[in-house]
Amino acid sequence: MRLARRTNLLIEPPAAATGDIAFNLLVFFLVCASTQPDSGRRQNIPASEPKQQPSQQSQNIEVYVTRTTAAIDGRPYRNLEPFQARLAQLLAAKPRPEDKVVVVKSSKDTSYAQWIEVTGRIEAAGGTITLQLEEERTVASP
Amino acid sequence: MKIARKTFRVEVPVVAMGDIAFNLLIFFVILARAQDDSHLKWQPATTPRVDPARYARATIVVDVNNRLYLNGQETGIADLASRVSQLLGDAAPGDRTVMLKIHRETTAQRFEPIIEAVSQAGGELVHILQEERKP
Repeated sequence: MRLARRTNLLIEPPAAATGDIAFNLLVFFLVCASTQPDSGRRQNIPASEPKQQPSQQSQNIEVYVTRTTAAIDGRPYRNLEPFQARLAQLLAAKPRPEDKVVVVKSSKDTSYAQWIEVTGRIEAAGGTITLQLEEERTVASP
Repeated sequence: MKIARKTFRVEVPVVAMGDIAFNLLIFFVILARAQDDSHLKWQPATTPRVDPARYARATIVVDVNNRLYLNGQETGIADLASRVSQLLGDAAPGDRTVMLKIHRETTAQRFEPIIEAVSQAGGELVHILQEERKP
């Protein structure tokens, strides 16, 4: 008996849908790229004025931030838990919203991470932040 | 004698539609890339709680090399306020969001004037931060 001859067919992968697959892959990666997590903290900082009224300045609490500490009216805190508690205590004694403005000054080498931590504590204590920048003046030498 | 008019079948060639669509897509991707800042390297500061940020009209980045970028384009601090103001235009309050992506080790000398400039331009600041991981 003679066995039937096996037919060797050339098998090619279907290439008709390659374009559609490429297109779908492209859309997939575009969607992945556009969903970067952008989350953070909103902060309202009023534009600083060139000069503050001396009477108002004295009523506001001043916080001085350095690379490792935060000071309330000159008293430094290394640990920010008691800092927040003390600030909340001081702000609670101020009923008017304009008195709850906390003037934040920073040393030049204060890191952004430290500044974010401290300002977060101020806001958690019920304060509104305003910045006081050091002025740089250029004096022309004769 | 009536001469029969010859009629031609006119069809729109649709063979190249896929290629045209693909090229258009590439074109828009490149266009979008011009305002993208995903190629800039920076590490966010951490905070206990974060809220999702909505659409921002402007994004400011200070990268690991202390360079300042506005919407992906390198810029200087001197004209930042005017450029942000231009981007914000007459947008209503609540629609004037400016995202700040500042590298965590950037010093106050660098980032405070940036915050001041955004504030002067009437922008509503959103610091882009990373949520602290609880142990």
